Amino acid sequence: MTSQVVENILQALAAGILAGATYGLMCVGLGLIFGVMRVINFAQGDFMMLGMYAAYYLFASAGIQAGFGNVVGPYVAILLSGPLLFLFGYWIHKLLISRVTGQRMAGLEGEGHSAQLILTLGVALVLQNGGLIVFGSVLASIRTPLSSSAWEVGPFWGDDISIFVNRSRGIAAVVSIVAMVALAALITRTRMGKALRAAADNPVAATYMGIDIDKSYRVAFGLGTAVTAIAGGLLATNYPFHPYIGLDYVIVMYAGVVLGGLGSITGAFWGGMTIGLVQQMSTLVLPTQLQNAAIFVVFLLIIFLRPQGFFGRAVERT
Amino acid sequence: MLTLEGVCAGYSVVPVLKDVSLRVEPGQFVAIVGPNGAGKTTLFKTISGIVRPSAGSIQFEGIDLLAVPAAARPHLGIAHVPEGRQVFPSLSVMENLEMGAMTAAGQRGWKENIERIFALMPVLAERRSQVAGTLSGGEQQMLAIGRGLASAPKLLMLDEPSMGLAPAIADFIFEKLQEIRAQTKLTILLVEQRVAEALESADRGYVLEAGRVVLEGNNATLRADDRIRQAYLGM
Amino acid sequence: MQTLRSLALPLLVAAVYACIALVVTNSYYQLMLTLVLVWASFGLGWNILSGYTGLVSFGHAAFFGLGAYTTALGQLYFDLTPWLLIPAAAGVGGVAGLLVGLPTFRLRGHYFALAMLAYPLALLYVFEWLGYQELTLPIKREAPFTYMQFTDPRFYTLVALVMLLAIVAITRAVERSRFGMALLAIKQNEAAAEAAGIDTLNWKLRSIALSGAITGAVGAFYAVVLLVVTPSSVFGMLVSAQALTVSMFGGVGTVWGSLIGAAVLIPVSEILHAQLGARIPGIQGVVFGIAIVAVIIAAPEGVYWKVRDRLRRAGPAAAPTPAAPARVDLAAPSTPARAQRPDAWRTGKVLLSVKDLSISFGGLKAVQDVTFDIYEGMILGIIGPNGAGKTTLFNLLNGFLCPDAGEVLFDGRNMVGSKPHVLCQAGVGRTFQIMRPFPRMSVRDNVRVGAYVRAQSEEEARRLADDAVDRVGLSAVADKVAAELTTKELRLMELGRALAGKPRLLLLDETLAGLGHGEADEVVAVVQRLAREGVTIAIIEHTMQSMVRLVDRFLVLNHGAVLADGEPEAVTRNPQVIEAYLGKKWVAHADA
Repeated sequence: MTSQVVENILQALAAGILAGATYGLMCVGLGLIFGVMRVINFAQGDFMMLGMYAAYYLFASAGIQAGFGNVVGPYVAILLSGPLLFLFGYWIHKLLISRVTGQRMAGLEGEGHSAQLILTLGVALVLQNGGLIVFGSVLASIRTPLSSSAWEVGPFWGDDISIFVNRSRGIAAVVSIVAMVALAALITRTRMGKALRAAADNPVAATYMGIDIDKSYRVAFGLGTAVTAIAGGLLATNYPFHPYIGLDYVIVMYAGVVLGGLGSITGAFWGGMTIGLVQQMSTLVLPTQLQNAAIFVVFLLIIFLRPQGFFGRAVERT
Repeated sequence: MLTLEGVCAGYSVVPVLKDVSLRVEPGQFVAIVGPNGAGKTTLFKTISGIVRPSAGSIQFEGIDLLAVPAAARPHLGIAHVPEGRQVFPSLSVMENLEMGAMTAAGQRGWKENIERIFALMPVLAERRSQVAGTLSGGEQQMLAIGRGLASAPKLLMLDEPSMGLAPAIADFIFEKLQEIRAQTKLTILLVEQRVAEALESADRGYVLEAGRVVLEGNNATLRADDRIRQAYLGM
Repeated sequence: MQTLRSLALPLLVAAVYACIALVVTNSYYQLMLTLVLVWASFGLGWNILSGYTGLVSFGHAAFFGLGAYTTALGQLYFDLTPWLLIPAAAGVGGVAGLLVGLPTFRLRGHYFALAMLAYPLALLYVFEWLGYQELTLPIKREAPFTYMQFTDPRFYTLVALVMLLAIVAITRAVERSRFGMALLAIKQNEAAAEAAGIDTLNWKLRSIALSGAITGAVGAFYAVVLLVVTPSSVFGMLVSAQALTVSMFGGVGTVWGSLIGAAVLIPVSEILHAQLGARIPGIQGVVFGIAIVAVIIAAPEGVYWKVRDRLRRAGPAAAPTPAAPARVDLAAPSTPARAQRPDAWRTGKVLLSVKDLSISFGGLKAVQDVTFDIYEGMILGIIGPNGAGKTTLFNLLNGFLCPDAGEVLFDGRNMVGSKPHVLCQAGVGRTFQIMRPFPRMSVRDNVRVGAYVRAQSEEEARRLADDAVDRVGLSAVADKVAAELTTKELRLMELGRALAGKPRLLLLDETLAGLGHGEADEVVAVVQRLAREGVTIAIIEHTMQSMVRLVDRFLVLNHGAVLADGEPEAVTRNPQVIEAYLGKKWVAHADA
């Protein structure tokens, strides 16, 4: 094997891990919503789009650029967009989603399942097109000076091989992992997080404990929205975006969540990571245009071979 | 402490409870027995607020329970240990107990309560970091009872704690109930299929059949009555 | 005939639509009229799979796109006419449906829905990679009819109308046949459908093939109308969403749903786009989205069902029909069973023989070494406390579960390993603890679902169903919809459904649950009569009470094993049985 090939593989691997970390965070948001309340949310990609614009405007107009500068500022804006989108998700659930899920729909013999799907499709349409009206169709981006510079790792193996890591992608990956760890701590260590998990495990028994299920669901929906929004902001530092960007990513998110196993939050992260790796590594052997086709083929393969995903429970809760 | 009057309830088209009235006095151990399908579990769900009655009233310590949302009732001091255990399978034993202690009283008394629960059921202490879904049936039942106790309740409602357990383990669970009772003088409302065991422990019993209370009284009078045998065995 | 009659209203609507189309001269509005029909057809194609089976597909763009590309490529490379290419596209769609269905039907619920997403998206990238970013159909001005390139756009609308009517006719025919019944049964409860003798995988594959074929044809026509095909316009997620949206907005599981959905949503979105699109880009999407959200919150099952349910509710109030209390026609209710019934079974032959049957789940031995025989004409009561393994035993007997060890001989043949629908065909019928009626269908139609396992024709199915309705004493309410029945009537209807398949052995799972004393007696009387008519019956109950007078023999299970097996009097005196039911201490007390 020539060193060029090794270098290419390592470079693709690094690119895959960097992209995968942010995809992972994105998936975790969706996985949280699905895991806690079994809602298939088609508007998740558009929530992410809102996160991108929220970070964009916070950075540009909330004095953050002036206060923190061009390097740190974007990340401050991204983190601030989290709470903003939390509130957004919380209210979307309270006003809309809660009306077609839960006990109200119990009598509808599975039709409620379709109702929430089409409801989120409707929300997605409003957000995409509303975004077009409000934000315009011009490509936006959160450029940082880091976007165009790279760290060189190496050279090693006799000076032949070195990998270049784009700085802003590197930082995005690190922030993603930190956010993931923080969320994991929230879910596993705090009382609220445990209550969310209890509600996901058995909503009726959770009610017997005095846990308000409706409120837990709203919080989970808000958290899921915020997490995906932060991932969106991080993506926005590397790629330009537009109001319809959600469509491109919602599928990637679902692929990641299913790969990781519906209902598992850490699974969702690794699912997203896998998507990033498959996407980047496939460029080594496949033409670039087939990069995304590869994702879906891997997705289908895994769904058939191991439908519960990497981390899922063997049986889907009914 | 708990009073039900003329409660009727059911699911969509199927009426389950028909004009049920019962009383639980503070410190009493009351057992509700009756064959399966008599409506015992529905009765509990109605008290907990999962099922809304179509008629009747429920009072707890003078409060109209029907005006209190289901999730607020545990905070009044009602702990429901549901049928089939229903522990949170993906949470650890300790986390399950913490969920029990979501109430203010449970928070305040957490330290002593957890010690008492562990002393009563040492197996829970041994397995405190194990995921609840991997426990055996008997252990899950103990965890469910411990989870109920962790809320420091005024009223503990137990729905068929012996269900699906091997006889020896069911006996063990009943012994534990006796111990809890001896230690705490807690008010207990028990639903059980195993009539003899249930009535033996209880101060007072109700026999439920096809959604109605057909018989009530103390242990001795109930056992002397042949109607129980009839309700179960049909002859 | 019935299918033809049911098409009267669609034909009328189509005629009105055609008149409107002929008057409209503006080519933009004419295109809109065409597109309404295209999307309605697409919605109907989707509905054949997702509406009737309940398996929501997010991936119908795969079939749509394959159809579109079949036409585009066929015309570009082989110069074929769309009149041939559209049927060819239907073929491609059908085959694609089978190829997709075979692996994907192994998945259920959310997994199925999400897996379906992947197919069109993978195809989208493949077609891009193949270099078909934008295919323009060659212009054939010299032969407009041969190539469906009409100069007058009204022809497109008419062709689309004919296509839509054909699809409506197909849907109606499916709805009224055993095909539709099988799909509805699958939607309601796949396991129960299997137990009623329906080969569920087979029907699901037929459904996805038909659905794919229709969708492929629609996609092909779409390509012909628009003359340009791009991967994202035919494989994109919005295409799949379009099918979902029009059907769910209008209501799934009915031909009217997609028609209503397309007729309302497509013009609204197009007109908004035309009127305001230039000034406020995206406004049509916003209004469209808000409309969807509003309708779903007001009518989660879709417009059609909401309106229909409302009309139905308003109907009886306006003209109150004398609500004749549903009387179960009984010769002599609550007569002691064995007094009338000679113990014929004693001389009969063994119908079902169970030997050393065992199954465990994890460490739990749910059923262990169970052995018993059921004789022809006998009523066997299977009782035992909660969790004793009664329902598990039934699941082993009708093929839902495969035992770890042991034999189940039905009429001398070992049936272990046979699928439920095979066992049902062999003559093992079953009811379920949890009732799953089709609430909007009449009692007669509900029962008919169970008849197809025996019936060769629709005619015969109807006859068997009527006969079964009669035998369970529901003739008086046969035309009521199931949603209006009482618990007792529902139980009898379930009994009728199992009976319609002419079973030799009927497994009844808690048929008396939730019934009051008087009601239970009435159902018991029906069961007794069935036994007199020669049906062999095994019935599960928790309690012995209503069973004691009904059954010839008891099989008592406890912790998965046989505790006692014998005649009712002996069993109720058996100390072990009393202990299992009332507890050890009761026995000790009684002895003392």
